Amino acid sequence: MFGLFKKFTTPQKLREKGILGMNARNFHIISKCNPRNLYPLVDDKVTTKNLAIKSGVQTPDMIGVIEHQFQVSNILDMVKNHSEFVVKPSHGSGGKGVLVIKSYTEDTFTLPSGKIITYNELYQHISNILSGLYSLGGRYDTALIEEVVHFSDIFKDYSYQGVPDVRIIVYKGYPIMAMTRLSTACSGGRANLHQGAVGVGLDIKTGKTKKAVQHNIPITHHPDTNADLRKIEVPLWREHLLIAAKAYEMTGLGYFGADIVLDAKKGPMMLELNARPGLAIQIANGSGLKKAIKKIDKKYPQNLNAEERINFILS
Amino acid sequence: MKNSFHVRLFLGILLLFAICFSIYSIYYKTKYWGFSLSPKQTSNVWMVEAHINFVADGENPITATLRIPTKNRGFKVLDESITAKGYKHKKLSDRIVFSRSSTTGDQNLYYKLMVFDNTLGKDKLRAPAPEKIKKPLWNDQTVTQAKQILHLSKQQDGRNSIEKLIKFFNQEPMDPTLKSMLPVQYSPKTAIEFMMNLLSLENIPTRIARGIKLEEGQTLYPDLMLEAYINGAWWLYDPQTGKQGLPDNFLVFQRGETSLLDVTGGTASSIKFSMQKSITASMNLAERRAQLSKDTGLFNYSIYNLPIAQQNTLKWLSVFPIGILIVVLMRNIVGIQTMGTFTPMLISMSLVKTGFLTGLACFVAIILLGLGIRFLMSKFNLLLVPRISAVVIFVILIIHALTIIGYNFDIKIAQASVFFPIIITAWIIERASITWEEDGPVNASKELLNSLIVGIIVYFVIANAHIRHIMFAFNELNIVILLIVMLLGTYTGYRLTELKRFAPLVKK
Repeated sequence: MFGLFKKFTTPQKLREKGILGMNARNFHIISKCNPRNLYPLVDDKVTTKNLAIKSGVQTPDMIGVIEHQFQVSNILDMVKNHSEFVVKPSHGSGGKGVLVIKSYTEDTFTLPSGKIITYNELYQHISNILSGLYSLGGRYDTALIEEVVHFSDIFKDYSYQGVPDVRIIVYKGYPIMAMTRLSTACSGGRANLHQGAVGVGLDIKTGKTKKAVQHNIPITHHPDTNADLRKIEVPLWREHLLIAAKAYEMTGLGYFGADIVLDAKKGPMMLELNARPGLAIQIANGSGLKKAIKKIDKKYPQNLNAEERINFILS
Repeated sequence: MKNSFHVRLFLGILLLFAICFSIYSIYYKTKYWGFSLSPKQTSNVWMVEAHINFVADGENPITATLRIPTKNRGFKVLDESITAKGYKHKKLSDRIVFSRSSTTGDQNLYYKLMVFDNTLGKDKLRAPAPEKIKKPLWNDQTVTQAKQILHLSKQQDGRNSIEKLIKFFNQEPMDPTLKSMLPVQYSPKTAIEFMMNLLSLENIPTRIARGIKLEEGQTLYPDLMLEAYINGAWWLYDPQTGKQGLPDNFLVFQRGETSLLDVTGGTASSIKFSMQKSITASMNLAERRAQLSKDTGLFNYSIYNLPIAQQNTLKWLSVFPIGILIVVLMRNIVGIQTMGTFTPMLISMSLVKTGFLTGLACFVAIILLGLGIRFLMSKFNLLLVPRISAVVIFVILIIHALTIIGYNFDIKIAQASVFFPIIITAWIIERASITWEEDGPVNASKELLNSLIVGIIVYFVIANAHIRHIMFAFNELNIVILLIVMLLGTYTGYRLTELKRFAPLVKK
């Protein structure tokens, strides 16, 4: 019984540490900073991408969109100028339903793992996307065909499968907290912290490791690759921050999470935005969001543009 | 922040008003409408009929006076009616006077009374001191014998000389001295009168109370009780047991010297009582009382005036807000992730219909079978709407199968499956299988289990007879719950599960 109590802390201690709870996030932050009518801007990846292009934020280039079942058979025609491509659901989240094709012929498609699927399987996958299999709430969806991101080698040793992205929380245009999620064998290649992925908190000024946790317990090395997690330093950090900051003007959302990947040639690119980012980032960083938010509300200047805000943070 | 403070203040004040209103309303309903706080399902309602019969002499105007129950705290009079053809009647506080001009023939007058138990207040009756005690006109020898009896009776146990005397009277075999003083054949009335005479020697004022024991059947003789005046109040004593106080089910019609029935202008008068017991739901009783009371205005606009069928539906509905409150508490204060917001609520509703264990077993069976079929179906890569529809049809088939199997093998558990809401069950299966695919089996089972646990908690609350009764009888409490739920909507503190989730952050 005492062991159980020891697992709990007190609200008082959490408050002192400036931890943001779910209720406070929903009540004080999201419902006040994020008007509901802006949600479609970030829920639909096609819309987000178009907005990003307008604001000069880099995203993976769009090859095409499949909206209706009859268009599915046009897929080969659509990608004919590309040797590789990615299919993803427009309303998906957390990498669900994303299919990367590294090379293909008329009826065989090779995945990054080397697995080969048939044309029929690809066709079925796109049909599933359209029927809403991967979308939030199972609504009808559209399939987005994108260029493949050539991930930078930086993270290669840090991930069990796939390549991690960087999640940056932005409040009133200021990036306030960042982390990267590394998949593990335990998480089944998924990047969800509650499934056992490693969360690495990144210093918002430098992009260097602050702390790494798995299952809420601090660790120093990746459980599968054994790479030293303390040595992570995200290159082009300023550019990462700038993309996140620009998304504020782009969407008008006062509070969101920006998922950014690093392309080896093109640099950081915005993958998607999340109007309701989770709270696990606090555990990865070992610090509270509330504290950071209060600081911005009180001390940080308003009405700066994205560049100026990043300069302000880095200064 | 400031804004939420104002919202909270406003809701808080409203809540305070709602609580005050509810307290007043509960007080009003219990006091004036007779609603009870506990769900005592039934009350004993007695139909007592006094049948007066006499033969009119055909010469004089007729007056018949019947003593009736008055100031009775043991029973509450629900309703009364008088049937007396050709008679004028006047009801006074303690008697009814029937009158008419002379007539001939057999006369039948009826006084019907509907009373119900009022278990409270079966005690003494405060009354002015009686007049001077009438002492019996006995000779010296009799007085000596009487004193001896009184003396002997002191050896009996009892709180006072009355109890002792009654016990002495009911001794088996009877004391020879006492036997010698009583006539060979004596009626209960003679015995009581003798006791009264004995007690008058001790200067205890006494009188006879007549009434009826409420037992189903008919009686020609009212039962007698001995009443003694002690410390400024009249106390009833059962002449058979010596027990003090009004016995259960005893309705006093008349007290003291006056007779129960007086008839002038008639002969061969008799009175016969018939008693009939009917068990009525307290709520219906309350309804009648409210209808009888002066302020029917409010009652007519309350749900208790509706037809029973509609009342039952509302009774069922009025327990939901408290279930919803629990779901809100579980999600926003405790922080339990359930499958969909009100799934637990729906589970608990089904459990109420099926019974707890049977429902639980049935629910688990349907969900497991459904999930199995859902996984088989995922191989077909069906589109969403047809897929969910297929699951719905499968659930219907599972329920068919379970019910038929249950009937043939007389397994009640399987038969209960009929009560599960099909669409909701299908939806839970769909949700669970998607969570299973997206977040893994651990998360899916966890969410299912959480929903089930919250559902069970809600079940125990909404299946509780007390809570159901209170939420229906005092339905204004739902306003209080509404405001509490709204106030919880402004709760921005940590959830209980977050205290565990974020605990590693504060550990040094």
